[in-house]
Amino acid sequence: MVLKRPPEAGDILQGTLDMLILHTLVMGPAHGHTIAQGIERTSENALEVEQGSLYPALHRLEDRGWLSSEWGVSENNRRAKFYRLTARGRKELNAAAGRWRRMTYAIGLILGEANE
Amino acid sequence: MSLRRFMHRTRKDEDLAEEIESHLAHEQDANGARGLSGEEARRQARLKFGNPRTTRELVWRYGSLPWIENGWRDLRFALRALAKTPGFALIAILVIAVAIGVNTAVFSVINTVLLKPLTYPDPQSLMQLMNASPRGSFPGANIPKFNIWRQQSSIFERVAAYDFGGAGLNLTGGDHPEQVQGIHVTADYFALFGAPLAAGRTFTAAEDSPNGGHVVVLSYGLWKSRFGGNPNIVGSTVQLDGQPYLIVGVIGRGFVTDTPADMWIPFQLDLNSLDMAHYFTVAARLKPGITSTQANAQLRLAADQYRRAYGSSALPPEDGFSVVSLQESMIGDTRMPLLVLLGAVGLVLLIACANVANLLLARASSRKRELATRAALGAGRGQIIRQLLTESLALSLTGGLLGLILGFVGVRLLLGINPGGIPRLGEDGSAVTLDLNILLFTLGVSVFTGILFGLVPAISASRPNLAATLNENGSRSNMGFRSGKLRSALVVSEMALALILVIGAALLIRTFLKLEAVDPGFETHNVLTMAMSVSGDRFQKTGPVAQVIRDGRDRLMAIPGVVDVGATNCLPLRGGFGMTFDILGRPRGNAPFTGGAGFYSISWSYFNAFKIPLLRGRNFTEQDDGAAPGVVMINEAMAKQFWPQSDPLKDRIQIGAGAGPAFAESPRRVIGIVGDTHDEGLNRDPFPIMFIPVAQMPDAETALNSRVAPLWWIVRSTMDPHTLVTPISAALREASGGLPVAHIRTMDEIVVRNTARQRFNMLLLTVFGSAGLLMAAIGVYGVMSYSVQQRTQELGIRMALGAQASDLRGMVIGQGMTLTLIGVVIGIGGAFWLTRFLASFLFGVKTLDPLVFIATTLLLTVVALIAIWIPTQRATRVDPMAALRLE
Repeated sequence: MVLKRPPEAGDILQGTLDMLILHTLVMGPAHGHTIAQGIERTSENALEVEQGSLYPALHRLEDRGWLSSEWGVSENNRRAKFYRLTARGRKELNAAAGRWRRMTYAIGLILGEANE
Repeated sequence: MSLRRFMHRTRKDEDLAEEIESHLAHEQDANGARGLSGEEARRQARLKFGNPRTTRELVWRYGSLPWIENGWRDLRFALRALAKTPGFALIAILVIAVAIGVNTAVFSVINTVLLKPLTYPDPQSLMQLMNASPRGSFPGANIPKFNIWRQQSSIFERVAAYDFGGAGLNLTGGDHPEQVQGIHVTADYFALFGAPLAAGRTFTAAEDSPNGGHVVVLSYGLWKSRFGGNPNIVGSTVQLDGQPYLIVGVIGRGFVTDTPADMWIPFQLDLNSLDMAHYFTVAARLKPGITSTQANAQLRLAADQYRRAYGSSALPPEDGFSVVSLQESMIGDTRMPLLVLLGAVGLVLLIACANVANLLLARASSRKRELATRAALGAGRGQIIRQLLTESLALSLTGGLLGLILGFVGVRLLLGINPGGIPRLGEDGSAVTLDLNILLFTLGVSVFTGILFGLVPAISASRPNLAATLNENGSRSNMGFRSGKLRSALVVSEMALALILVIGAALLIRTFLKLEAVDPGFETHNVLTMAMSVSGDRFQKTGPVAQVIRDGRDRLMAIPGVVDVGATNCLPLRGGFGMTFDILGRPRGNAPFTGGAGFYSISWSYFNAFKIPLLRGRNFTEQDDGAAPGVVMINEAMAKQFWPQSDPLKDRIQIGAGAGPAFAESPRRVIGIVGDTHDEGLNRDPFPIMFIPVAQMPDAETALNSRVAPLWWIVRSTMDPHTLVTPISAALREASGGLPVAHIRTMDEIVVRNTARQRFNMLLLTVFGSAGLLMAAIGVYGVMSYSVQQRTQELGIRMALGAQASDLRGMVIGQGMTLTLIGVVIGIGGAFWLTRFLASFLFGVKTLDPLVFIATTLLLTVVALIAIWIPTQRATRVDPMAALRLE
């Protein structure tokens, strides 16, 4: 059964998750677990998502050519799949971050007006 | 992109599973570092990750293509469902295979004849030059016409003349003499048709002019068969009719001409000739950008020019010139018959569809509970229709594959037996090959068929009344009103279509019987005919030809079993020459001459050899030779048409006045009238013919004759003439100084060939009609036996209440015959309208022949009655107790 979610909410969340993943990878290649931890830590645990939902996003981003992946050995000496930001991914991150800032700024304006 | 993802998703899923394992291991490590025990660390890790299967499913679904996924599932399910009822599946597939098979067969012929382009480069711009008249247009040209057409350089890029091999050539000088087909062509011929060269060159313009010398271009086939593909053949000579010919080139493989050619010889036409005889044809290539309409406009001017130069006797004002595409000209009048056959197989296909649809309806009603259960479990209507359509498509595609094999093998077998006189099919139909067109056609028909017979049953089955169906305690519910009506309608249409087919077949059968009954006007049994080419220089004068006939006759008469021997330049049923004539002392009609008639030169014993009766006057004798006064004999048709009131035996006629110098001769006395023969074909009325003795032909005429037609020998024997072929050929070779004979056939065989096309059409339509009738009978049988089965209870109650077996029988038969009769009425109505398309195939029968309509209706009714009778018997044997206990 297909999960039914409000589409617009899903889109925003999905877009946000994508942006966060891309951002996490600016520092360098990382495997899924590191990425999940990174997002949790930098958001001070505010964005604690089910870790499993990270993987569909990773595969989607790879499919779009924003990430590339290869198997390697992790810091714990375990086999892990490492994701790397591609040039197109970097460009998309900049674009998404720009969109995000404009939107939060606009929302801030609206809320600010409403508060007055 | 997504297809690639789709193909790789299994591998990707394994990859993901490993990735998830790795993630969990890392999380477990992290938890362990926080001090949790091994088991708890693992539990927490799993808790935090969520369900790995959900993750994998999300990724899997992302890589999936729903329609392939669903289609595959539907197909697997369909195959399982069909495998559960193998009997049904087998019958349905066979019915479809037969119907698609006949469609593939007919289409493969149409594909070869009508659709495949000619094999020459840029075939669309190749045109045949035609003589247009209000009565129709026909190819054929004389030198003055060829000259004028050649000058039309504003519309034609290239113009070439060629004949059809005419007399044939005697290839001598080897171990065995052989008659070969040599086509006379002008030098431009090869460039016009884009003939590839395997070796050497084609003719030069100088070689193609009168006295240009003896040169020849070989075909690839002859080069291989007679000369073993010798690469150094160019430059050597061959003996043709005793003359050395220089081989200048060999044409490459794959160059196909309409009349198969072994070699090409320069025509060497004398372009200054005013010879008005038509003995070749002309083809041209349009200039780029010129349409055939523009060409025809220009040719109207050319016709005026021709008329001014040679008078309106040469080209009457209402006649003119035109072009048609070479392909059209080759197809000729075969288009309509082929389209009618396609229509007939289309009807067979419709009957098959109705038949299978009926089977599916019956099957659907016994699957009601299954379908209702699926609907109750949440399957949408679209999903159920899709499922049922997948089943019918699985049936139709399987049937289509079988039909493709059946049809293709069938058509090759059929054409091997009887090519039906259809052009462009090659030797025994060898040009009919399996190509993309045929595959696509069969695929298209299969899909169309699957949807056609599957859609209605699927829609009607997808409308289940859930509660009612699921609450029924047995499957023996009454046939639903709607599906009962639907099935009856299908049976009615099957009956109607089958009747139309059977009427068509019956009309053609009657035509064929009428043709068989036609008296050709001569006795065909025990007559052997054969052709001897006399195209060599020896036979350019009348004397030597007459001498060969005399010698040949003497030798043949010495063979035991030979009764009589004749010779002619025109064999009956093979077409002949015509000529104009004037009756001396009679005013000319509208035309510059009194009339035109067939013009046969014959040996004096011709009528005896064919047993053509002499009606009045006297027969030719050996004494009617060049030294004796000119004589002519005519047939009855000529006597009736041109001497309705007077006696032809008192008149003299002048033949071929104004037809050119070759035909200059003095008037001839009419000495006898013979019975008519059907020379143009058994389905044509006899036309006027004048016969003159070979020995009295002007030399120039003999020369022309020898060039364009072989000498036909006619040998009547007392026994099966096939047994005499060897001694006859040997005797003729001796008499002619070593000339071979070819085209050896009995007159009976020529008659069979003459009716080949009618036989072909009759055969096919009879097969189609029988198939349609059989399917319709199965259809009505199926519906009636199903209905009896469904009504077992009702019949049982009726019996229990005292109904007699005869009452029940009457009731069931009445129901079945009602359907049949409705079908018959519709079918007769359809046939009234459709048989008009058969009009041009019929002979001696009207399209609305009452005998045919009545006989076929009776046939259909009787067949239906038999089909209904069987389930009726079952109805009367219902045991009331057993029937009631079913409740």
